[in-house]
Amino acid sequence: MNSQPNYMANYLPILIQLGLALGLSGGILALSWLLGLHRRTRRKLAAYECGVEPVGDAQNRFAVRFYLVAIIFILFDIETVFLIPWAVVFRSLKLFGFFEMLVYMAIVLAGFFYIWRKGVLDWNTPERAE
Amino acid sequence: MHVPADYYLRILPELVLTATAVLIMLIEGGARLGSRAALSGTVALIGTAAALASVAVQSAHRGEAFSGMFRVDGFSLFFHGLIIAATLIVLLLSIGYLRAQRLQRGEFYALLLFATVGMCLMAGSVELIMVFIGLEISSICSYALCGFWRASARSSEAALKYLLLGSFATAFFLYGIALTYGASGSTNLYVIARSLSDVLAGHGSLILVAAALMFVGLAFKVSAAPFQVWTPDVYEGAPVAVTAFMSAGPKAATFAVFLRIFYVALGRYSHTWFWMIWVAAILSMCLGNLGALRQTNMKRMLAYSSIAHAGYVLVAFAALGEHGISAAMFYLACYVAMNLGAFAVISNLAQQNERFIDLHDYAGLGFRFPLQSVCLTICMLSLIGIPLTGGFLGKLFIFKAAFQNHLVGLAIVGLLNSALAAYYYLRVIAFLYMRPATVEVSQPQRSLSMNVAMVACAVGVLWLGIAPNSLLNFVVHSAGALTGR
Amino acid sequence: MPITVFLLFALVKSLIAIGILLSLVAYIQLAERKIVARIQNRLGPNRVGPFGLLQPLADTVKLLTKEDIMPSTAHKLLYLIAPAIAVTMALLPISIIPVGRDIHVLGYTTPLQITNINIGILFILAVTSLGVYGIVLAGWSSNSKYSFLGSLRGGSQMISYELALGLALVGPIMLAGTLDLRGIVEAQSHIWYVIPQIVAFFIYLTAAFAETNRSPFDLPEAEGELGAGYHTEYSSMKFAMFFLAEYINMITVSCIATLVFLGGWHGWVFGPGWLQAILPVFWFCLKAAFFLFLFIWVRGTLPRFRYDQLMGFGWKFLVPLALANVLVTSLVISLR
Repeated sequence: MNSQPNYMANYLPILIQLGLALGLSGGILALSWLLGLHRRTRRKLAAYECGVEPVGDAQNRFAVRFYLVAIIFILFDIETVFLIPWAVVFRSLKLFGFFEMLVYMAIVLAGFFYIWRKGVLDWNTPERAE
Repeated sequence: MHVPADYYLRILPELVLTATAVLIMLIEGGARLGSRAALSGTVALIGTAAALASVAVQSAHRGEAFSGMFRVDGFSLFFHGLIIAATLIVLLLSIGYLRAQRLQRGEFYALLLFATVGMCLMAGSVELIMVFIGLEISSICSYALCGFWRASARSSEAALKYLLLGSFATAFFLYGIALTYGASGSTNLYVIARSLSDVLAGHGSLILVAAALMFVGLAFKVSAAPFQVWTPDVYEGAPVAVTAFMSAGPKAATFAVFLRIFYVALGRYSHTWFWMIWVAAILSMCLGNLGALRQTNMKRMLAYSSIAHAGYVLVAFAALGEHGISAAMFYLACYVAMNLGAFAVISNLAQQNERFIDLHDYAGLGFRFPLQSVCLTICMLSLIGIPLTGGFLGKLFIFKAAFQNHLVGLAIVGLLNSALAAYYYLRVIAFLYMRPATVEVSQPQRSLSMNVAMVACAVGVLWLGIAPNSLLNFVVHSAGALTGR
Repeated sequence: MPITVFLLFALVKSLIAIGILLSLVAYIQLAERKIVARIQNRLGPNRVGPFGLLQPLADTVKLLTKEDIMPSTAHKLLYLIAPAIAVTMALLPISIIPVGRDIHVLGYTTPLQITNINIGILFILAVTSLGVYGIVLAGWSSNSKYSFLGSLRGGSQMISYELALGLALVGPIMLAGTLDLRGIVEAQSHIWYVIPQIVAFFIYLTAAFAETNRSPFDLPEAEGELGAGYHTEYSSMKFAMFFLAEYINMITVSCIATLVFLGGWHGWVFGPGWLQAILPVFWFCLKAAFFLFLFIWVRGTLPRFRYDQLMGFGWKFLVPLALANVLVTSLVISLR
């Protein structure tokens, strides 16, 4: 395309956009700091907890399920990452590509079946103490 | 797109192992709560045996596969056979072990087989990225296996330590790969070798740094000094069956990678990396043996001993050339057999919650449990290097190779270390037969599979010591193939 | 085209795009309040200006002059960075969304998008997934229990539905054979992908609602249980920045849905030359506006999910369905 000086230059406008976006968000933050009121009291600066004094720290232990979701997400996200280039060149691979992906997906789905049956995806059962 | 059927035959063991492991995942998933460990164990055994058999199919189809990523030659065949056989032994002993520890979960077998797939990939890959993927597959499974005994804090500690240090070491290895790629423009070992011979000037220091980084990563995995500190803790914390596994397969696979990368890709630069190996060999032997002297916990003792044995293999490595490679390969085979045998006996005697794991528990057991004691004795003698055992011949070839290459100092340090090591190995035998029992050790459970594992290892050790000719010929041939002569 | 002109064009286009976006967000918000009010048989804002048209302006002034509070227990730096990340990562994907064919300005030909890269979809998936950092950091750095729970929920929800979102896009990519957004639109000149990829379309739409934390998936900010969720501790414009990000994300996913499933700027083109030049852009905007209206409509109509239903729906229904869609699509293509 004649509008492209060269390949990598196409990514430069993204940097411009990034700069503008950062400038915008920084500007908003600064503006709200400059224009807003500043009448601080100790209670106003306390964390919100239904109007009572905050109890303890909020950065606490939390359910392991959230970790599990994150781990499984990474696995499946990588699967998606593999699927996308495959999808682009799929037409030239024909049935061979289909069967290769079938094998790959079968392995991933075996793992999916496993975590499903072991209850990793169930959120309405109480956590088992092990 | 056309992929020749040969390609699939060349990775047949990996395919069989993967299919079996996936099948076990499905079997385990079928049991919503609890486990079907017995069924999974049987499936794992059958699958691994099939994989071992398929190495024969593989050997009939030598050559490269998947655009030169994978290579079936004598070298990779040897390590495929060794790794899968080691896994088979570990499977046999863990079936009984898991039952005794009430750790019967089929996931154990799946993890074990996936780790084996990774190790086989390491042995066969001639492409750094594939090597890295294989290394990661096997490492990640090992981390999980270390923490398999979830009720034990030590086991979790071992898993965490191994994970943190292991991923750190892997990062070193990956960085080394990146620099190698930068210097040579390829990740294929043979292409790297070619391009490095073309552009000799200018890249020497870059290659040295890359070699050093890869050396750090790999030395960690084989627990060679000075990257060995994790070994005693992890070996002690992990369940015995896992310790057995970690001390055998991954070590062999990592040495395969070690030899391949350094001899094939960086062979031309041996003068730059030779000293790293030399220093690591001396340090490993000395630190390993000195550390083992004071241990009374059997797992810790064998952990230190495995550091020392990594040192012996590094001596062969430092000897450079065909003799060194073939000596290293042969020694690894012996080491796997004798170490697995020792661990098989330990896991059999340990019993529930690994109660009997200390040297003092072994006092006077010699005549009460003759089978276990004889097997342990044979393995200990072989670890010392007494004639008629594989350990003797292995050490002989290593030190011969060292002398041939004028590494007299290294060989002498090695010999002195072997003498030193005799003390703590012999002490085990002395406890078994010459001390009165102090602890009431209960009868270990009878397990056919464990007995098979113990006897197989002992017989293997003796076979390697008495009639090693066929294996030796094979090893010498494949070592020649590796160096391209 | 010399590089300086190219960059100048990009700068101008960026400024225009951000300007349009900001005013669009303001008026989508007004439209939302009006439409939801109508659905609920109320009037909605109608005091500031004719039909309440100046309401967004009044809101902005109000928000700007509100007290700027930083909780004393908060992690100060991250607390400030979080809304900035949310807004930045929302604005970034806009840079590669094409709204029409090439145009000729001052003797140069330039695409109607800030820049044209050939891995457009991949870029959008990558950058939108960074937006989750804004939410997680906001909740964590506030050091308030409501914020923390809200961000946990939001993070898990967004990554869970991101899978379905990504997998749903694989089908159209397979049909088009490219990751270039313009290429995908041009490939739909005969048939819009909503017809062969109807399953993927609905998966995408559902996942898009969850990705933007919109009703019925607005659990991270469920008022009844979590206060305001991850932005409980944010006041004045910092609070508004999260809304800004949410609405820009709505616009982004609507544009992607238009480009990938509804044929982008394809539509009935007729009339004189100037009309022919404008009509594609008009069709594009109309289709995107349809999706934006859908967002508001759904919010006015559907009740909120329970969290276990939300996760179960995403993992046990949408992900397998999306995988099945990929397999069926690939089978049909390879057999043809």
